[in-house]
Amino acid sequence: MNFASVAIEVLSALTAAANLFIIAAGLSLVFGALRIINLAHGSFYMIGALLMASLFALGRPEILFWPALVLAPLLMAGFGAILERLLFRRIYHAEHLVQLLLSYALSLMLADLALRIWGADTRSVPTPAALAGVLVVGGASFPLYNLFVITLSLAVGLGLWVLLRHTRFGWEIRAAVEDAEGLSLCGRNVPALFTAVFALGAFLAALGGAAVAPLQAIGPGMDSAILVSAFIVAVIGGLGSIAGAALGAAIIGFFQAVGTLWLPTWAPAFIFLAMIMVLVIRPSGLLGAAQRAWAEED
Amino acid sequence: MARNSKAERREGRAGRIRSLFGAAGLATTLVLAGSLSARAGEVTVGQSTSLSGSIAQLGITGQRGITMALDKINAEGGLLGQKVRLVVADDGMTPANGTTNVRQMILSDHIKALFGPVSSAVGAAEETLAAQYRIPYFLFTSNDVRMTTQVFTPYAFQVVPNTVMEPRAVARYLAELVGKKPITLAIITPNYSFGRDSADSFVAALRAYGVDVKVLTQQFPKLGETDYTPYIPPLVAAHADYVFVGQYGGDLITFTKQALGFGLFKVSTVVGQYGRQVLTALAGQVPAGTIAFDRAPYWAMEGEGVKRFTEAYHTRYHEWPSAWAILGYTAVETWAAGVKKAGDFDGDKLVAALSGTTVETIRGPITLRACDHQGNVAEYVGRVSREVDPRYGQQIYTDVKAIPGEETMLTCEEAQKLQPRH
Amino acid sequence: MTQRAYGGGISMVGVGIAALLLVAAPWVVPTSWLLVLENVLVLALFATATNLLVGWTGLVSFGQAAFYGIGAYTVALAWLHGIAPFSLAFVAAPLIAGLIALFTGAIALRARKLYFALLTLAFSELFYVLAEQLYDITNGANGIFGAMVPALLISPRIGFYFTLAVVMVALLLLYRIGHSPFGLALQAIRERRVRAEALGLAVSHHELAAFTLSGAFCGLAGALYVVHDQTAYPELLNWVKSGEPVIVAVIGGISSFAGPLWGALFYQIAHDALVALTRDWQMALGALLLLVVLFRPGGLVSLLGGREER
Repeated sequence: MNFASVAIEVLSALTAAANLFIIAAGLSLVFGALRIINLAHGSFYMIGALLMASLFALGRPEILFWPALVLAPLLMAGFGAILERLLFRRIYHAEHLVQLLLSYALSLMLADLALRIWGADTRSVPTPAALAGVLVVGGASFPLYNLFVITLSLAVGLGLWVLLRHTRFGWEIRAAVEDAEGLSLCGRNVPALFTAVFALGAFLAALGGAAVAPLQAIGPGMDSAILVSAFIVAVIGGLGSIAGAALGAAIIGFFQAVGTLWLPTWAPAFIFLAMIMVLVIRPSGLLGAAQRAWAEED
Repeated sequence: MARNSKAERREGRAGRIRSLFGAAGLATTLVLAGSLSARAGEVTVGQSTSLSGSIAQLGITGQRGITMALDKINAEGGLLGQKVRLVVADDGMTPANGTTNVRQMILSDHIKALFGPVSSAVGAAEETLAAQYRIPYFLFTSNDVRMTTQVFTPYAFQVVPNTVMEPRAVARYLAELVGKKPITLAIITPNYSFGRDSADSFVAALRAYGVDVKVLTQQFPKLGETDYTPYIPPLVAAHADYVFVGQYGGDLITFTKQALGFGLFKVSTVVGQYGRQVLTALAGQVPAGTIAFDRAPYWAMEGEGVKRFTEAYHTRYHEWPSAWAILGYTAVETWAAGVKKAGDFDGDKLVAALSGTTVETIRGPITLRACDHQGNVAEYVGRVSREVDPRYGQQIYTDVKAIPGEETMLTCEEAQKLQPRH
Repeated sequence: MTQRAYGGGISMVGVGIAALLLVAAPWVVPTSWLLVLENVLVLALFATATNLLVGWTGLVSFGQAAFYGIGAYTVALAWLHGIAPFSLAFVAAPLIAGLIALFTGAIALRARKLYFALLTLAFSELFYVLAEQLYDITNGANGIFGAMVPALLISPRIGFYFTLAVVMVALLLLYRIGHSPFGLALQAIRERRVRAEALGLAVSHHELAAFTLSGAFCGLAGALYVVHDQTAYPELLNWVKSGEPVIVAVIGGISSFAGPLWGALFYQIAHDALVALTRDWQMALGALLLLVVLFRPGGLVSLLGGREER
């Protein structure tokens, strides 16, 4: 095993991690702020990719890539805001069982809706010309687009950090998590804040979908394929923690990329074993706030 | 006290309501059962297949082929004077749903024939069930060779090249291409019996055709994998002359896009199932010269029948037919020919009439061998063209060869040795 | 108000009529509906066993399909590898499922509430990928199919009576468990966990016992599934399958013994009718579930005037 093949494997692992991070960050953010588990998050991811494909079909790919990459997640964010107003708002104080079932029911409906709107055909989005090249590492080539996905996830991570730590919006979210009633007494519009957070979660899921669109076949079934992986990442890192999602994504990305090569039979099982171990030893996840988890006690 | 007695009254009332509810449930059940059963002057046939999920595209276009064939039969006055009605259901890719649907169709709709699903796991479960009720069963998308060998029942007919025939056909094409020159090979196939069987029989067939082949690496990602980036670098690093890809449908699209990024197509010639759907989705991105195979590529098939069907399909659905649509159409033709020959819809009579016989279809005559009911259908192998065909809006094949089924099928002795003893 | 024994919503009149209808069914309804009823019975047992955790003890598990699948695979693997005859495998199925539930539960119960649900989900997926990946033992994603059940049980009437008998006995046992001091203790844990602990109740032992029992009955349901369908495949163990009994219990009503039974009847018939009638059956099923969760959290039982117990 030479330097080039190690470098390629590391980059492969990072690509897998990068995409998982974008999606899991949305899941974790929504849980952290709103305390709900959203099983329809995978559907948002699929719809993001499908919207990307539809926007592409409007005209010339080389011009459309960048606007579509922004527009598809924005459309999904708008749809997410509507779903929050109509459905999720009603269950913030319900038991987890109710939340899980409501979002599961929604995911069933969205799967059928997507099939109705986009059909069963598998679609493909071309790689933009600027990113179609390869990076040559010691004689082996690595696609530039994968590097773009890695960069995008870093930008998302940085953007979320700035947003949550250094803006008024972020301060309000953190305040709402601690004491929603108090914030509302201060004259803040907490329901609108929650809608915005939910929409941001949907935006991230769809951004993940739009970003992988040039790397994958797009079509039905994408939703359930991503959901479990995104969950494992969010849980291992600690539900509610963005940094945790990054760490979880790195761990799972490594298992998926390298583990499957060395131990193809056992690698998928290891991923679940990792999740079980984390939940048993540290239920709040590697970087989750511990007191939050124990607040779940009755 | 008062509270308790009220509760008791409610309990009593609730009990009565519940009993009523139960009776109403059973009554509804019976009415539903009645309304679904066949009407006079009409026979029913069924298909349970994957209409949702990742392989829905195969299920839906296959069903369109069936629908078009039945519409044609009905437009010409039906079969033996009876109109044919199709009942359909979604199996969601799980055998349990498939068998539940099929039971419903057999027992409530009284179907006279059953057309097969996409997934071989579902198909095998249904084959046992169809035989229990003596319903003829036509497999045209799922193509596991086990369905004509290990789980064979006389009621099943397969009109698609099976998992032995398809890789053998590709091996033959490749053998003619390379001649006596030794070659190296890398393999990637999905991790279930279809993938593993295809890979094994491809290598065995190459050797049988006298090719000196060395397998450098073999990868088994799971079916439905969305990230092939870990698997592709070892394939590239192997620098094999040829890479055999067992992925199909959406998996093949994903694999191709990611492999293009890693430059796999530059170091090796890829061999894969590039059919209508994959070539359309990839919109001209498949490198020219890639060795491609398909079970029924409309653009490469000869004969007036398939040409007429292709045009009619395009007019009706505004897209070109997938292999599954053509195969679905021929499956119905096969059944109809059997009914006409038997002069009856009865399962046993139809099986007797079809076994060992030759039927005319849009893709030409198909002979259904008596020993395993496998049709001698051809597999098409060619090389992907450089340009997108202006008429079809996708890349097509050059140097295409139709490899006849007779040349790739198991011998009857081989097949019968694997069959359960009845 | 005193603690009522869990398992309200059962009236003797109702049970009598239901039993009579079911015993008469093979001579009254067409064979096809007999098979639907068989599905209903298996699902009813699966959902009631799951509700032993969800509704009785207040432990929301999204991993009961693991034990259902283990029950099914016990019968299928015994046949595939010629380890044991059907009768032995069938009896072993709930025992093996229960034993594995004991070990799994010992780990899963270290977490609480949502984290318990996620842990059980992870276990379900773990067993699912094992069933899929251990190709040489389980046939992998292909699953196992074939004549793994005695020919006698394949006849619709005998198969139905066999399933009916097993499910009835199992439900009776579950009902007795619900009404035993142990069942009352479980309810106390659901209502006030901390207080139950303070009163000296061995809460964690009770929870583990409930988890083990639930696993064993889920395994029995899985073994019955094989009798019905003669196949076992990995998706029987995944989290989507695990969600099914929970959905059924919620639709029927988790706070009464009869809830999951009504849920199973309604869910199976609605599912089969929707699949047959429309391609958009997932949409319809999702909408139905959504409406129940939002507007009828008490489930169908509450529609029927049954009492909610909280």
